[in-house]
This record gives sequence, C-alpha cells and structure tokens, in this order.
Amino acid sequence: MADVAEAAEQILVSTVEAPHDTPADWTPNVLAFACHYCAFAAADLAGVMRLSYSPSVKIIRLPCTGKLDHIHILSAFEKGVDGVFAAG
Amino acid sequence: MIVGKQKPFDEIWDMVKGFKKVLVYGCNTCVAICHAGGSKEAELLASMLRMRAKQEGLDLLIDSAGIERHCEPEFFEPLDEKVKTYDLILSTACGVGVNFLADRLAGAIPVYPGINTSFYGAVPEAGFFVELCGGCGNCILHLTGGICPIVRCSKSLMNGPCGGTDKGKCEVSSETDCAWFLIVERMKKLGTLEKLFEVQPPRDWSTATHGGPRRISLEHIRAYEAEEEKKATLTGEGK
Repeated sequence: MADVAEAAEQILVSTVEAPHDTPADWTPNVLAFACHYCAFAAADLAGVMRLSYSPSVKIIRLPCTGKLDHIHILSAFEKGVDGVFAAG
Repeated sequence: MIVGKQKPFDEIWDMVKGFKKVLVYGCNTCVAICHAGGSKEAELLASMLRMRAKQEGLDLLIDSAGIERHCEPEFFEPLDEKVKTYDLILSTACGVGVNFLADRLAGAIPVYPGINTSFYGAVPEAGFFVELCGGCGNCILHLTGGICPIVRCSKSLMNGPCGGTDKGKCEVSSETDCAWFLIVERMKKLGTLEKLFEVQPPRDWSTATHGGPRRISLEHIRAYEAEEEKKATLTGEGK
C-alpha cells in the first residue's frame, strides 16, 4: 500500500506544471474598478498632479464598488486581463 | 424552499467537456435564494466553463440563461426555441426542474444537473440553510410542538429520544440539537406535554417515497382548466 501511495504521490507531483517563462518586457494588463467617490477621484487627482502610472492599467469608474459583481471580474479574466484591481 | 448546492466544478466540467454547444440554464426561485442555481450563478458558471474550455484548448460554445421557475411549463415557453439549439442543457435548477425539463425535451437534448438538490429548508440567517421538513406526506407537527422528528432527529425516531441525547445535543454531531429534547421543551411551554403520552399507531410510510412516486390531483381545478380550454377552442382563441 505504501508503494501505491508513493506512486500516486509521484504522479501528482509530475502533473504540476513548470512555471512559464515570463518575457523580460512583459507587463500585466490590469483592469481597475474604481469607486467614483474615492479611488477614481484619487486617480483623477493623480492626473491633475501630473503623476503617471503604467499605461497597461485601465480604469472603469463605478458609482460605488458595491456595484462590482462577480461576473464583472470573471468577464475581465475571460477577456484576457491579467489582474483585477478593485479600489473603493 | 428547496435548498441545493452547486456540484464541484471538476465534476461539472467532466459532464460538459464532450459537448459542443451548452446552455447553463438557471432557475430564479428556490435555488437562486440559496445562491446555487439562479440566473446569476448560471452566468458565473458559464463564464468559468468558458475559461476552462479555453485553458484546455476545446472549442465549446457555452451560454447562460434563466427563467423564473423550472417546475411549471409556461415559464419555459419563451425560451423553448433557444433551448432547442443546444446539444446539452446544464440545468442549475433543483432535481425537480432537471426532471421536468428532461421530460419536456423528451430525449431530444440531454439535461444534466449542475447542482445537488439537498433538502427542504429555511434560511434562519443569510447564507445559512437548515433542513426542517422531509416532505413525508403525513404531517405530525401538531403532535410534536411544531418540530419534525423525521428530519430534525438524526435517526428519525418517532417515540422520543434515543440514549445518545446529551444535554440537548445529538450524539451524531454536537452541533445538532436533539430534536426530541426540543420537542419536550417546546411542548412543556405550550402546556401540551401530555399529548406525548397518547399512544400513536404505527406510522404509515406509504405517503412518503416508500409508496412510489407521489401525485396530488385537484380535480376541480383540472376540470375548470379543461372547460376553459374547450371554450377557447370553440371561440377560436385556442392555441
């Protein structure tokens, strides 16, 4: 039985994929869901202050992050976004 | 209401991966309340399945839809034509809904269950569901202080607690109240404890599933509907 368990363990371990190589110039596409009243206002202020952030971050303004639903996040991932940032 | 829980995702994936065009079909009544199979959950499940298909390199079209009830025919009608364009319906309705739709489609398209239908329950607090009725077809709640020993006693005992009752808790799980302890305490408060001394005849379980599939037929309603149908046909208003 111990051999069987060990073999099963080895099979399990062998199925773990090696991490993909990440190109040095790769930047993740991030979608930010921002609350109109705080995080979006902060991003706006950042713009006024001429502060910059990565162009790979796209912002969607929500009336409140309470409006954010599971399906919005899943849809983003389905469309290939690498990360979702909820700010509110 | 009927309480259910979504099946493990991998189990669902194994069901659907061999098909080409799948509709995840939600029901917006009981299973929507328990966050298992309403339109919203069907939409999320469809999205997750699409991502899995993409990960596995499979060409699968997965859509979602929802109707208010899967247990009455008229609710299906608006989507009947759409449903027929798929080669699998993954229903997130309760088992009643899966059976009913499968009968309706009569073998033309398979209908698979996306959730495990669990019990008839109540929602004492958001996100928490408890089984309170077994649907046995022969209610005795008037004799037991409104507490059902059939589902609330782990052993479905009909004649008082077993030896495993422990300070009001059940020996099967310390998180479960002893139903017979609750019954006695409730009946004391109601002042009806003496009812428990009445000898009850052996229980007739033929009204539960032991007597085969159950039906209830309201003849006056059916007769009225048949009459209305006949009138509509005569006046040319029938379908």
